[in-house]
Amino acid sequence: MKLEIVLFVVVVTVLGIVVEVVRRRRLSESYALLWLGVGLTVAVLAIARPLVDRVADALGIALGTSLVFALAILFLLMVCINLSMHVSRLEARVEALAQELALSDVHGLESSLDRLHHREDREHRPPLEAPPAVPGPAPDEPGAGDARP
Amino acid sequence: MPASTLAIVPALNEETTVASVVQAIRTELGADVLVVDDGSADQTAEKALAAGAQVARHPFNLGVGAALRTGFRYAEATGYPIAIQVDADGQHVAAEAYTLLDLVRSGEADVALGSRFADGSGVYDVGRMRRFSMRVLSRIVSRRLGTRITDTTSGFRAFGREAIERFAHAYPTAYLSDTVEALLLTKDWGLRVVEVPVAMRERMGGQASNNAAKSVYHLLRLTLVIGLHPLRRPQIRGSV
Repeated sequence: MKLEIVLFVVVVTVLGIVVEVVRRRRLSESYALLWLGVGLTVAVLAIARPLVDRVADALGIALGTSLVFALAILFLLMVCINLSMHVSRLEARVEALAQELALSDVHGLESSLDRLHHREDREHRPPLEAPPAVPGPAPDEPGAGDARP
Repeated sequence: MPASTLAIVPALNEETTVASVVQAIRTELGADVLVVDDGSADQTAEKALAAGAQVARHPFNLGVGAALRTGFRYAEATGYPIAIQVDADGQHVAAEAYTLLDLVRSGEADVALGSRFADGSGVYDVGRMRRFSMRVLSRIVSRRLGTRITDTTSGFRAFGREAIERFAHAYPTAYLSDTVEALLLTKDWGLRVVEVPVAMRERMGGQASNNAAKSVYHLLRLTLVIGLHPLRRPQIRGSV
């Protein structure tokens, strides 16, 4: 009976934590579903100990607890594999994103370089009476003085 | 001169239909079109661009919800007062969009919803399992919103400026639950939702993005989303 109470407290705590992190939007619903399922499974195992013992017996395992441990380790292993797959995909996506960003900024870098040159040009050039609508050519090129009267 | 309405078209591998959808929107609605290519492997983006749409391209597939949020962010940044979501598979009749747009334009609704099931809409056939879950969803959402919503998963919706600004930072992106959660959010923000019946044209091509095998899992997740929604903290700008 004591064991049941302890397990009940554990299950309620796990479920409480899962609901709270979902509430704070720290955990997506998909993973929440997984951990809620784990909590409920533990609850079932806590109540159905005769069932666990019978299954263990049928599989040739002496102790019901050993079966539960074996299944728990197996399950956590699966979760770890699943999570490493997700991390791998995230890594690939971050790389793809960074590359997209880098490539999309190629023109941005070029134009900021252009602006820099443009500013240097203007500093060496006498002020214009009427600013040209389109950025004018560099002053050392032929035709640069066309804008001036 | 840019139009006052932006049509957001989320598209995934819809190269056969996207061009005609873009053309129909431009000619019949006179709206600007933003096609959000959600990581297509085919010529969707090129076809859309050639048909005269603006194209935003996701570097990989993020889901319809994320594609819509991209669209809302574009509409927010460029200042469109009205946005309408149109599917790229040609299911929506462009003329029907007028009804939705008028509801938003007149200020009657912040979000106008085109329903495939409301009385007066044409026959739209879905499987029995889907029909049942859609009916349950409709019951729950209608009760929460205090107004009758028959089609909670409709992808044919018009949005006013406030809805655009709100959804630009909080449109839910989880697969299949995005439309339902979006409706629940409108209630939190005090936006008015109006539903009108629309007829649906046959799909012109492409694949329906629904897998029957995963429906139980999605239903469970949806239950969780709906159940926890009243407790959840609002999504804050810049928190993700």
